Amino acid sequence: MNGTLDRLQVGESAEIIDISSDCTRAGRMATLGFITGRRVTVTRLAPLGDPISVEIDGQEISLRRAEARLIAVKQA
Amino acid sequence: MIMATEFKKTSQSANKSPLVALVGNPNTGKSTLFNRLTGLRQHIANYPGVTVEKKSGLLRIGHQDLDLLDLPGCYNLTAVSRDERVVMDVLGGRHGLRRPDLLVFVVDASNLKRNLLLASQCAELGIPAIMALNQCDAAKRNGIHIDTALLAKQFGIPVVETVATRGRGVDDLKSAISNALANPSFLPRIQWPECIAKGCQVLQSGVKDLGGEGVTQAEALRVLFDSDSVFTCGISDKICLKKMVDAAHHDIRGLGLSPGSAEAVLHYRHLESLLDGVVTTSGPVARSHESIDAILLHRVWGTLIFFVVMYVVFQSLYSWAGPLMDLIDALTGMAQGFISPLLENTPVLQSLICGGIISGVGGVLVFLPQILILFFFISLLEDTGYMARAAFLVDKLFSWCGLNGRSFVPLLSSYACAIPGVMAARTLSDPKARLTTILMAPFMSCSARLPVYILLIGTFIEPRYGAFAAGWALFAMHFIGLALALPLAWLLNTFFLKIKPQPFILEMPDYRVPTLRNIFHRMWERGREFVLRAGTVILAFSIIIWCLLYFPRNPDVAEKIRSDFSASTGTGISNENLEHRIESAYIEQSYLGRFGKAVQPVFEPAGFDWKITVGVLSSFPAREVIIATMGIIYNLGADVDEGSEDLRTILQNEKWTSGPRIGQPVYTLPVVIGIMVFFALCMQCGATVAIIARELDWRWATFSFFGMTTLAWISAVVIFQIGNLF
Ligand SMILES: Nc1nc2c(ncn2[C@@H]2O[C@H](COP(=O)(O)OP(=O)(O)OP(=O)(O)O)[C@@H](O)[C@H]2O)c(=O)[nH]1
Ligand SMILES: [Mg+2]
Repeated sequence: MNGTLDRLQVGESAEIIDISSDCTRAGRMATLGFITGRRVTVTRLAPLGDPISVEIDGQEISLRRAEARLIAVKQA
Repeated sequence: MIMATEFKKTSQSANKSPLVALVGNPNTGKSTLFNRLTGLRQHIANYPGVTVEKKSGLLRIGHQDLDLLDLPGCYNLTAVSRDERVVMDVLGGRHGLRRPDLLVFVVDASNLKRNLLLASQCAELGIPAIMALNQCDAAKRNGIHIDTALLAKQFGIPVVETVATRGRGVDDLKSAISNALANPSFLPRIQWPECIAKGCQVLQSGVKDLGGEGVTQAEALRVLFDSDSVFTCGISDKICLKKMVDAAHHDIRGLGLSPGSAEAVLHYRHLESLLDGVVTTSGPVARSHESIDAILLHRVWGTLIFFVVMYVVFQSLYSWAGPLMDLIDALTGMAQGFISPLLENTPVLQSLICGGIISGVGGVLVFLPQILILFFFISLLEDTGYMARAAFLVDKLFSWCGLNGRSFVPLLSSYACAIPGVMAARTLSDPKARLTTILMAPFMSCSARLPVYILLIGTFIEPRYGAFAAGWALFAMHFIGLALALPLAWLLNTFFLKIKPQPFILEMPDYRVPTLRNIFHRMWERGREFVLRAGTVILAFSIIIWCLLYFPRNPDVAEKIRSDFSASTGTGISNENLEHRIESAYIEQSYLGRFGKAVQPVFEPAGFDWKITVGVLSSFPAREVIIATMGIIYNLGADVDEGSEDLRTILQNEKWTSGPRIGQPVYTLPVVIGIMVFFALCMQCGATVAIIARELDWRWATFSFFGMTTLAWISAVVIFQIGNLF
């Protein structure tokens, strides 16, 4: 099932298939490990539902839903 | 002081002692290592025109002196915002900056691959490098083992294991630095695919043809991969440039990569082959912070704990700072008491030194305890790793108006004083959020406004409407700044600021036990900076205001009052009262007094008379001054405080002596509320203006000053005019 990262529920994981953003932003996210083919798991939401916190490549990173929406993922 | 620093800088570069820069991801321990290496032999320099500081210090190895540079942390060389540019400018030796002779990559051993991406990018620059493998203790705890010898062999540069917080490995690092300066070694360069290498060449020659400064291959890569790269600034023909970039992007897509992430993907591939066999993890990596986060980031408990933490911080800011501030006040008073009699014969000097300089500078030093305590807590929260969690918890509250979760602490601390708040905004790495936070900080109702509120609420609202209304009025005064600031921030961000927002992506650091050494170092640094810089500006301001209130000092004024007094003997005026009358007569004809009378028509629509106007004007350097000024004007002597009974009765009985409202009371409810709102919104703090000018630049400081003052005036007028309708 394809969707975007912000649609995942807490505890769900998926594989990154694409980042649709301008070069600079996509580059920034790629540097932090958001790279096609890697698995992300949503670990928790902030009390107001935004930002979300995800695990990727052994590190925990939080990002806003607006950014998560740019990351296309494929759920197994 | 600033001149001395400048001088030191030039004299150092004249000797050409080698320049060594610490480079690395945020939070890897660069500053800790920097402090270990330099001790206290360091000075903080603001990057020209930008606020992000690049700190430099003196590193002595044996008999050799080196300049050590502590750069801001970054994940990659993307140079969009001006502060990210600092790193690229230093490494590229642009804008007359000296290019470092050696780079020390400070990497976090727990996350080697991602940390080395920056190093891999920097390899393009061709500067000799060594690596400090920091936080080895934490890596070991997490079950990560690193084969240092293999790492050094694969990357072709010396690698030193360090634990910066304990000072372990620092001596090894020093000898590695001096060896590397003698026998440089370089990082292996990535082998770019044909099309990227070609794209760079095209861009390099293309940029030159278009009239830009020449760019190196490393800089051409930035143009290629950062759509808003600053290296294209000098070029007017953006379309032609875009064509070149698009052509290269097309080729990159041909490789099956997306242009945005291609650079990172290729570097990661390169690193993965180099790091093969270097890192071994024993069992599943233990996530030490998982169980703590389950509570601290919990929807209910986490929020609750957050509020408790903030409550403790700000409660101590008020209650711990109180006694220290009183102490400084007392010392100021003692200094005045000691010096005053010595200058008995030269009243001008006596007034200048005691009334102008000592009370002006003392008035600034009074904020020092608050600054130290605030930075104690900020360092504590940052070092433990809680700050990132707090930002995560509250980000949503601020994101809609262009601020972010990290704005919380600077804004809340501005309730004590805007100065530490503005300084604390340095913890924001997003330039847009930082700018907005700094501009909003002075709107928070600082403790210096409190005396004004207490005086006016206690005099006019409490007697008439009761204690309950007074409490609410006080609360409302503290709330109004925030209520206006957030929508203003939104307006500013939506319509005026042309800075692109940066994604709010936050790495959750491990929890750590904070080290006192680090914390006190930060407090000392910030305290020193505050005293030196804001102190000099405030000193200048207080001398100016003193002059304007003191001169011209025609003895005839005093004579006239004295003769009037002796003419009307028996009216029961005491000698002391006479002195006050003379003092207030002097103020009335002083430059500021005359100016106040001239300016009064401006405040007429808000219902302010000339006395209020002088009070308002004289409190522009520091708003607390109004209490003292009102005291002088209303014949009471300068040492009134907000609880003073006499001042209250006088204010209640004060009537217009001329104009259309002659005989009516001056302080009607709309006027009182208008004054309070004016004080809540107006930028009446020279120190804050100076700090904003330093942290941003003079244009923003001017904008902030005039913007807030205009807003305050409009609000006071609207309140008075609407109030008079009823
Ligand atoms: N366990 C451990 N913690 C360390 C070590 N070195 C630094 N730290 C901690 O890591 C945190 C960050 O250290 P800093 O020196 O501020 O890091 P920095 O690289 O200057 O960070 P930025 O200026 O944000 O780029 C602090 O809490 C330090 O106490 C180390 O060797 N071991
Ligand atoms: Mg640092």
